[in-house]
Amino acid sequence: MGRARFFPALLLAGAVPIAGLTGCGDREPPEDPAPMSVTGALSGEDQGAGLTRVEGPEPLVFPRDHGPHPGYRHEWWYVTGHLFDGEDRHYGFQATLFRFNVAPESTPERPSAWATDQLWMGHFAITDTQGEAFHHFERLSRGALELAGGQPDPFRIWLEDWSLAADDDSPGPFPMRVRFQQDGFGVDLRLEAEKPMVLQGDGGYSQKGPERGNASRYFSWTRLAAEGRLTLEGDERRVAGQAWKDREWGTSALGEDLAGWDWFSVQLDDGHELMFYHLRREDGGVDPISKGLWVTPAGDSRVLGLEDVDLVATDEWQSPDGQATYPGGWQLTLPEEGLALELRPVVADQELRAGVFRYWEGALAVSGERAGQPVSGHGYAELTGY
Amino acid sequence: MHLLRRAGLRYLLGHRWQVALAVLGITLGVAVVTAVDLANRSALQAFQLSADALTGEATHSITAGSEGFDEALYPWLRVEQGERRASPVVEGYAEDLDQAARVWRVLGVDAFAESEVRPGLGGIAGQADLALFMGRDDHVLMLEDAAAELDLQPGDRLRLRVQGRERTVVLGGTLATARPVDRQGLHDVLIMDIAAAQALLGRTGRLDRIDLVLPDEGRAATLAEDLPDGVQLRPAEARSSALLDMSRAFRLNLTAFSLLALLVGAFLIYNAMTFAVVQRRALFGRLRALGVDRVQILRLVLLEAAVVGLVGSVLGLVVGWLLAQGLVGLVTRTINDLYFVVQVRGVALSPHNLALGLALGMGATLVAALLPANEAARSPPRATLSRADLEGRSRARAPRLAGAGVGAILLGSALLLVSPALLVAFVGIFLLLMGAALMVPWLVLRSSLALARPAGALFGLPGRMAARGLSAGLSRSAVAVAALMIAISTVVGVGVMVDSFRGTFERWLDASLAADVYIAAPSVTGEASPPLAPGLPEAFAGVEGVERITTGRYLRLARGGEDWRLRAYDLGRDRADGFMFREGDPALWARLREEDAVLVTEPFQSRHGVGTGDPLTLPTPAGERSFTVVGVTYDYTTSEGAVIMAAERYRSIWEDETVNSVAVHAAAGTDTAELVARLRSAAGEAQALRYRPSAEIRRISLDVFDRTFTITHVLRLLATGVAVVGVLGALLALALERSREMAVLRAMGCSVQQVRRLILGQSLFAGGLSGLLALPLGLALAVALTQTINQRAFGWSLGVHVDPLLLLQAVALAVLAALLAGWYPARRMAATPPGDALREEVE
Repeated sequence: MGRARFFPALLLAGAVPIAGLTGCGDREPPEDPAPMSVTGALSGEDQGAGLTRVEGPEPLVFPRDHGPHPGYRHEWWYVTGHLFDGEDRHYGFQATLFRFNVAPESTPERPSAWATDQLWMGHFAITDTQGEAFHHFERLSRGALELAGGQPDPFRIWLEDWSLAADDDSPGPFPMRVRFQQDGFGVDLRLEAEKPMVLQGDGGYSQKGPERGNASRYFSWTRLAAEGRLTLEGDERRVAGQAWKDREWGTSALGEDLAGWDWFSVQLDDGHELMFYHLRREDGGVDPISKGLWVTPAGDSRVLGLEDVDLVATDEWQSPDGQATYPGGWQLTLPEEGLALELRPVVADQELRAGVFRYWEGALAVSGERAGQPVSGHGYAELTGY
Repeated sequence: MHLLRRAGLRYLLGHRWQVALAVLGITLGVAVVTAVDLANRSALQAFQLSADALTGEATHSITAGSEGFDEALYPWLRVEQGERRASPVVEGYAEDLDQAARVWRVLGVDAFAESEVRPGLGGIAGQADLALFMGRDDHVLMLEDAAAELDLQPGDRLRLRVQGRERTVVLGGTLATARPVDRQGLHDVLIMDIAAAQALLGRTGRLDRIDLVLPDEGRAATLAEDLPDGVQLRPAEARSSALLDMSRAFRLNLTAFSLLALLVGAFLIYNAMTFAVVQRRALFGRLRALGVDRVQILRLVLLEAAVVGLVGSVLGLVVGWLLAQGLVGLVTRTINDLYFVVQVRGVALSPHNLALGLALGMGATLVAALLPANEAARSPPRATLSRADLEGRSRARAPRLAGAGVGAILLGSALLLVSPALLVAFVGIFLLLMGAALMVPWLVLRSSLALARPAGALFGLPGRMAARGLSAGLSRSAVAVAALMIAISTVVGVGVMVDSFRGTFERWLDASLAADVYIAAPSVTGEASPPLAPGLPEAFAGVEGVERITTGRYLRLARGGEDWRLRAYDLGRDRADGFMFREGDPALWARLREEDAVLVTEPFQSRHGVGTGDPLTLPTPAGERSFTVVGVTYDYTTSEGAVIMAAERYRSIWEDETVNSVAVHAAAGTDTAELVARLRSAAGEAQALRYRPSAEIRRISLDVFDRTFTITHVLRLLATGVAVVGVLGALLALALERSREMAVLRAMGCSVQQVRRLILGQSLFAGGLSGLLALPLGLALAVALTQTINQRAFGWSLGVHVDPLLLLQAVALAVLAALLAGWYPARRMAATPPGDALREEVE
């Protein structure tokens, strides 16, 4: 349920400046961020009124569930991956589209075509490992006038000209075309699923707290073959690699004593994948609800509990303006699998700080051993609440 | 302190009343200039601020006149064209039903597109609840300051009238702005989500503007080519600068009038300083004999003048600021009536005003004092030169001055006749006034000599003395007469101009208001009437007692940097009702219906230089289309000008059946009040409409007209006030100076009454002369104002209409002012025991 934890961070971040809402790319955030608070609408700790809730395990229905669920507060299509060009140069990328219902009790039957309760946000980032550079962009748009939206069949989710869409007439989202371009940076990739989709939690029902309805639907594709083009400062190059996609929606809320989370996805060269996260409490402890998932080369998966994995930060990094200090490297062990890994950011600064939400989402280099054999791979980490 | 300076100061302190009058003159002059400048500037600044706040960082705007354009253009621009720094806008005006005379600008925006374009809205901080802002059609935001001023809390309701319909909206939240420009510029703005604004303003499917930030002009050029027909890309400032340009003439007129007041003030200074010099000729002579050189004397007099000027200017700034509080309302109202909607709050003195007031006040003072100072410096070392010598020199100079005056008048007239620019025309008017003033000494001299005999015959010795006394004290009396003449001629000139304008306007109204009842939805002043609900015209046509109806459609077409007014009327069957033609094709009615032909109004002709037979290209929904101008009509509704088209052609080209107003022609013998009642019930409750009989429209139009000229009247009164003070000062000086002469007369046996009569007679003579001289000058001024200034400024041609009563009033005013001014000296002189007066005069 990793990314589901994203939202509480929005709450923790406090008021969200509308000014920042449209700030994008490498632009400086406005000097005097003046909060026209969308957080109330986005968080809605107590105001789930008018929204649909996830209230128990339910069979997923496809293709319907590939598309948007506007009645739920939040939803996302979250793609991260690692790409290599002809010279074996490494790039990380994040291409994410978020959907929010910001006005659940809006007046029905409004005359204007601009009237909507749907707000869309896109985050796009490229990590240039060799160039030690990180480029990120944010977009926001109302879900009206075809500016942003989604449909299950044929699968297509878009925000202006950023899109995730079925590449041919397949009933599902894969093979998928990922097209994100802005200001001389971009990816245009075709993703092919190498393993079947895995359901997180209880058959896709991911409990977020003790109360009923405090849950989300969550499933992932942990290994996607990626091929296509990447543009860096206007230069286009052919790239190939591997990607990961998370899908989640819900109307959940989190406990107030949570400070943030550290979320990891790892793709090992031997065909295994690992997802794991720590929910950090205000008191410095880790919430026992923290979980993970272990996926075998055949695509079988099992849920991991907090006690199954040992995760220790080994380094730290401070963002340039001194506003936040993040962990900068980790030791991860999963004794049951004889797994001991070292996780290291490929570039220290992979913080998204130009937009509404400040967080660290970056590519990791992974090395270590499994069952006595050396193993390596790549990963992504998401660090919030710092 | 230097001895000389102390002497100067002592003199000033010792002649307080005299100094006070000089100070008052300059105070009034500076006050009027400052007040007008402040009022103008405040109105301008309010407009500029709101334009700046609303323009934000936008470099360009996409517009399509008053009807806007299809909202689908926005996704096309943003997604297909990749212009992401683009912000869609729907806007309009709403009257606040709970706050009389408050007009809100309703701005519908997409909050997620704003900060790229308009930091004003991006930088807004507040507690707006996005769920309600985006989710409801009735939620508005306003600035914290505005809400505090109106004592409104979030959740409170506002009753608005939008396009003739009453609507209630809820204050969803208040906003604090980071930038001062936004705090002022957004003060009268209600911010809504674009969806809600479309619903409130009845603009579903349409956008009024897209503001965008383009990287360069090259991109602007390619984008402009890709835009659909009828949609324009223009620089962001184009619209506001076009509006400002239009109101420029009005503001320039005000400034010119205010300078007139200063001119009269300068006469006063001249008068006071001359008097101060003359009184001390003996002293200056002795000082010179003691070795004080000319430059020192010159400096002394100028220093005295500078002190007077400084005190007067500073007081003038204060009084001007006070005056501006009232004046700004008048200026704003006129601008709203004639040009654009602007709301001014507060008038603040800026460094600019301070500098302007001080510079003009000190400048006028020093220039006015230069001549007397020079006179003082030329005092011979011994006090031998008598007053008589001075007056002798004055008399000798009179013909030369008159010659110069004739030259100035000729030059001024020439400028007025040929000048293409408004500013040059004003220079012409000033030359005319100055020329007339220069001729005054000679005229006073000739007339006083000529009148001495008849006055003597009528009133005996005092009459004769009164007449001759003016020429004897020419250096003083001429200035007083000139100041009063200029003031009175302004009264005459402006009065005749306003009368002419009103007369012309009235005649035009009578010709234009051919129908019996006019129906339109109420609109914010300065904005066109909103569209009538569909079906209403047909309903009206069927009402009993209606012979026929004609409809009017008003819109604006984006053309160049401007939005041209287009009016489409149901034109009668070869009937010229409602139109007065300046020129036109004889077959114009047929051509208007059958060809692509249009009429233009007279101001349009003078603004754009198109007349009968010329082609005129207009943007239509199907692209640009060329029309032929077949006539020019008189029209006094707007100095902006308008294009007029037959409704049939408009409907077929624009494919638009919308109607903004209906004119009802009643069948013979129908009672208007009953007809209005029937029309009302036919319309039902769908839309709040105003039903106005033509007589009421006529009255309202004339009210607006009179309102527009209120400021002119106020300025005229101020100039007259300055002049009366001036004459008072001059006559007082004249009388006091001759107190010894009077004392001698008293000592020789003249009665108090005789002396009083002598002084009053002199005043009467000066006043009458001023009044008479003011008549030709005033009429010349009126001709210049109606025929040149108005033409240049507004493009309206006016007939000259002279009311003899006004002329009579002017002369009476001059005499009255002079008598008033003579009354105090007369009383004082007569009351002073001759012995005292004789002693006083001995130095």
